[in-house]
Amino acid sequence: MRLKTALIIDDAAVMRMRLRDILEPHFDVVGEAEDGEQALSLYEACRPDFVTLDITMPKVDGITFLQNLLKSHPDAKVIIVSAVGQKQTVFKALTLGARDFVVKPFDPERVKTAANRLFSKA
Amino acid sequence: MKAEYANPFIRAASEVFAHETHLQMTRKGLELRKTPLPSRPVCIILGITGPIRGQVVYALDEDFAHTVARRMLPGKLPAEVKRLTNSAISEIANMITGKASIELAGEDKTIELTPPAVFTGERFHMDFLNIPTLSLSLISEAGSLEINIALTEGSS
Repeated sequence: MRLKTALIIDDAAVMRMRLRDILEPHFDVVGEAEDGEQALSLYEACRPDFVTLDITMPKVDGITFLQNLLKSHPDAKVIIVSAVGQKQTVFKALTLGARDFVVKPFDPERVKTAANRLFSKA
Repeated sequence: MKAEYANPFIRAASEVFAHETHLQMTRKGLELRKTPLPSRPVCIILGITGPIRGQVVYALDEDFAHTVARRMLPGKLPAEVKRLTNSAISEIANMITGKASIELAGEDKTIELTPPAVFTGERFHMDFLNIPTLSLSLISEAGSLEINIALTEGSS
């Protein structure tokens, strides 16, 4: 069975590496982007099954990327992985259409669970 | 400058360091300064905007920066750890500031953070605004971290 594909969007190389290490045995990481601008063109090129998305990034931040992505791809599956876990920010991201919000620092299991939940039938 | 801004950063730094590096950070000192000018050679600067705004400047020694990166990247080769040191410490600063901002924002406010910028070396020169600054010093068995909090209330 084909592995579901993921795109990792985070400006910190160390976090992209960590997320890749967590996801890769179970998912196929098809790309990494370090800002929202780069991410949008990479999304179009890779068409991943889901995205992990940081919020605080240079050029185009995660919330703006999320709005732009869902405008053109309303079914896109996005898990926010961010240190900015303020109540209003979490509420905004989930209201816009993010499927889950993982606050940094995180346990690897929390990320795996969030990703698996996107594709569970229950 | 409100002295109570210090506590969210102390709690956040302790939790983030324990989670990411398994180091226990203990508060050593707290002083009031005229600017957030760091006194260690590696510094990470984050801007904060919104109802609370200003700058948070983290500073540490180079050896401690490498230790933090090594502990965040277990199993990675030394060359890779060295290459990723700036990314590791800026992510630590981002996580501490993000966690502190949850407490500062409370239920109804939104505080925005700028991406962290890292500066290294004894000789770089930078002018900081004269913003009254709370300077915290946190120590661990592997090194110490300075956190300079220059925040003020009111929209920009």
